[in-house]
Amino acid sequence: MLLNIPLTQYLFYFLSFVALLCGLMVVFSKNPVHSVLYLVLTFFAIAGHYILLNAQFLAIVHIVVYAGAIMVLFLFVIMLLNLNHDSEPHKNMLLKGAAVLAGGLLLMVLTGSLKGAETLAMHQPLNTQVGLIKNLGTVLFKDFLFPFEISSILLLGAMVGAVMIGKKEIK
Amino acid sequence: MNASNTPFDYFPLILMFIVAAGFVVFTMVVTHWLGPKRKTKIKLDTFECGIESKGNARVPFSIKYFLVAILFVLFDVEVIFMYPWAVNFKELGALGIIEMFSFIALLLVGFYYIIAKKALTWED
Amino acid sequence: MKGLFIVSGLGILAMLAEIFKFKKLVYPLVLIGLIAAYAVNFTEWNFDWSQGNPYPLFANMIRFDNPALAFSGVILAVAFFWFIFANDYFKNETNITDHFALVLFTLTGALMLTAYQNMVTLFLGIEIMSIPLYVLAASRKNDMSSNEAGFKYLIMGSFATGFLLFGIALVYGATGTFDISLISAKIAAAHGALPIFCYAGILLMLVAMCFKVSAAPFHFWAPDVYQGSPTVITAFMSTIVKTAAFAAFMRLFLFGFGPAHDKWATGLSVIIALSLVISNITAAAQTSVKRMLAYSSISHAAFMLMAILANNGDMSVPPILYYTFAYSIGSITAFAILYAISKSEGHDGFDAFNGLGKRNPLIAACMVIAMLSLAGIPITAGFFAKYYIFTTLMATTYKWLLILAVLTSAVGVYYYFKVIIAMYFKSSAKSEAVAFDSTTTALVVITSLLTLAIGFVPNFIIDMLR
Repeated sequence: MLLNIPLTQYLFYFLSFVALLCGLMVVFSKNPVHSVLYLVLTFFAIAGHYILLNAQFLAIVHIVVYAGAIMVLFLFVIMLLNLNHDSEPHKNMLLKGAAVLAGGLLLMVLTGSLKGAETLAMHQPLNTQVGLIKNLGTVLFKDFLFPFEISSILLLGAMVGAVMIGKKEIK
Repeated sequence: MNASNTPFDYFPLILMFIVAAGFVVFTMVVTHWLGPKRKTKIKLDTFECGIESKGNARVPFSIKYFLVAILFVLFDVEVIFMYPWAVNFKELGALGIIEMFSFIALLLVGFYYIIAKKALTWED
Repeated sequence: MKGLFIVSGLGILAMLAEIFKFKKLVYPLVLIGLIAAYAVNFTEWNFDWSQGNPYPLFANMIRFDNPALAFSGVILAVAFFWFIFANDYFKNETNITDHFALVLFTLTGALMLTAYQNMVTLFLGIEIMSIPLYVLAASRKNDMSSNEAGFKYLIMGSFATGFLLFGIALVYGATGTFDISLISAKIAAAHGALPIFCYAGILLMLVAMCFKVSAAPFHFWAPDVYQGSPTVITAFMSTIVKTAAFAAFMRLFLFGFGPAHDKWATGLSVIIALSLVISNITAAAQTSVKRMLAYSSISHAAFMLMAILANNGDMSVPPILYYTFAYSIGSITAFAILYAISKSEGHDGFDAFNGLGKRNPLIAACMVIAMLSLAGIPITAGFFAKYYIFTTLMATTYKWLLILAVLTSAVGVYYYFKVIIAMYFKSSAKSEAVAFDSTTTALVVITSLLTLAIGFVPNFIIDMLR
C-alpha cells in the first residue's frame, strides 16, 4: 500500500519532480530572467536531495553559493547582455532537427545504460555518515589535500582574469 | 555534533520551513481575497519613487558591479572551505593549521592584488 | 612535482610584480625559473615508486612518474621557447605582468595534467589550464574577433567540462573510486560485468577530451578561436595546451580505461577518420595561414589519437611524446615567423609570404624546415613522428586508418607547400627585407635546427621511455 513506502521516498519523488520540471522550464521559458529563477528553484530541489542523502553541509553550501551568489552573477550577465527584445536569431529547422536527434540519442543511451544500476547498489554497503561535515573535513584535509591547495591557484587565476577583463587598462 | 545523524533529525526544521512558507502564502492569498480592489491606471503603474516611470527596467549597466560580484564569489568559496576545517580543528592539529594558512596566504596575495589594482574602487 | 611548485610560485610572483615595482625583472625571472623547473624536473627522473611516495601528503593525487616527467619536460622546453617568441608581444601590452601571471597559471594546469593520478586532479588541472586561457584569448579588448574567440572558447569549453564531469560521476558511481589505476584494476577485474553506465561515462569523457584536443566533430570552436586570439596566444594554445591535453588524454585512456578498450576504440577510430578528412580538406581551402595552421592542428591531433587508439600501454607513450615535441617545435617556428610577417604586411594570408625567399633567405629557409616537418617529409622530425605512430598502429586491426592517414597527408603536403611556393616562386611588390629582430631570428634558427636534430637522432627521445 501507499503507506508502506517510507517518507523519504515520497520526498525523493517530489524533489525529483520539482527539479526536473524546473530544469525543463529553464530551457522553455522565453524570458531569460524567468530561466534564472527556475534555475534557483532547481538548485533548491537539489539541495533537498543532498539533505536526503544526509549531506547537510553540501546542501547549505549549494544554497549559499549556487542559489545565492552564482545566480546573482547569472542575473548580472543577463542585465549586461541587454536582452531587451527578441534579438535571438531563429535557427533553421535542420539545425533544430539535428539538435533534437543528438539530444534524444544521448537521452536514450543514458537511460539504456542505467540497466544494471540497481544491482550495484546492493553490492556496495552504504555509509550514511560520509556526507557529514566532520567526515567531509577529514577527507578534504587528508586525502584531497593536493586538490584543495591547488584550487587556490584556480581562484587566483580567476581573480587575475576578472580584473584584467573587467578593469579599464591603466596606462 | 551527534556521530550518527540522519535526515530525520532535521524534520522539525523542515516543519518550520513549511510553516513559515505557508504563512507567507496564506497572508498573501488572504489579503488579496479580503481587501477591496480599485484598479485604476495610476495604481497599476510601476512605482518609481513617485516620479513617472520611463522606458524599460532592462538597461545595460556597468561591468563594475559584475567585477565586485565575481570577486565576492571567489572569496565566498574560500570561506566555505573553512567550515570543514573548523569542525575538525583539533583532530587535524598543527598540520591542519599549516594547510589552511598556506591556502589563506595564497588568497590573501590575491586580495592584496585586488586592492592594489584598485579593482574595488569606483571610478568613472 | 617541484617543477609544478616553481611554476605556480612564478605565477604568484608575476601577479605581484607590478604592485612591488619589479616589472622589468619579471621576464628574466620567468626564463630563469623555467630553466630551474626544467632542471629540477629531471632530478626526479627514474624514481622508484615501489619505495613509496616522496610526497605522502599528496599521495595518490598526483604522481610524477617517467611519462609525466617526459611530458612536463616537453611542456617546459616549449614554454621557454614560447616566452622568447612572445617577448615582442609582451612589450606592447599595458598590463604585461597580468599576462605573465595568467600564462604561468595555465602552465601550472598543464603540468598537473601530465601527472594526475586522480580524476579530481584531472578536473582541476583542466580548469586551471582553461580559465586563464579564456581570458587570454579575449585579452585584446578592442578587437571584436578576439572577444568572439574568448567568448566562444568559454561557452564551448564549459560545455565540454560539463560532459567531463558527468562522465566522471558515472565512472565513479560504477567503480567507487576516483583513482585511475584503481579504476583500471576494477575494469580489468570485472571482465565487462560493470554496469553499462560506467561505459557510458567513459564515452562521455572521451567526448570531453576530444573537445579539449579539438578533434572532429568537436573541432568547430578551434578555427575561430585560433584565428581570433592574438597570434602569440594561438601559438601557446596549439603547442603547450595541446601537449598537455594529449598527456591527459593518454593517461586517462591508456592507464585508466585501457582494459575497456573494446568499448571506446570504435568511437575513437571514427573520430580519427573524421578529423583526418575534415581538417585536411578544409585546410586546403583556407586563404589565411593562421587559419590553415588551426585546421592542420586538428589533423595532427588525429595522428596523436592513433597512438592512443593502438592502446599499447607503455609502448604508446614514446610515439606521442615524440610527436608532441616535433609538432610543438615546428609550430613555434611557424607561428614566430607568421607573427613577424603579419605584423609587417598587415595580414596573414598566403600572399604575405610572397618573395620571402629573396627578401629574407634565412627566415624563409627556417619556414621551409617547419613546413616540411609539419607535412611529414623525411629527415625532418615530423616524418619520424608520423613513422612511429604508424608502426604502433600497424600491429592493430585499424590498418584502414593508416591508408586514410597517408592519403590525407598527401593533401596536407599541398597546403604546406602553398607557403613554400609563395616564398620562392611568387614575387612581391616590396623587395626590402621584412624586419626581424635578432631574438626572433635566433629563436627561429634554433628551433629549426632542433627540428632537424631530433629528425637525425629520433631514438634519443624514443629510447628515453623504454
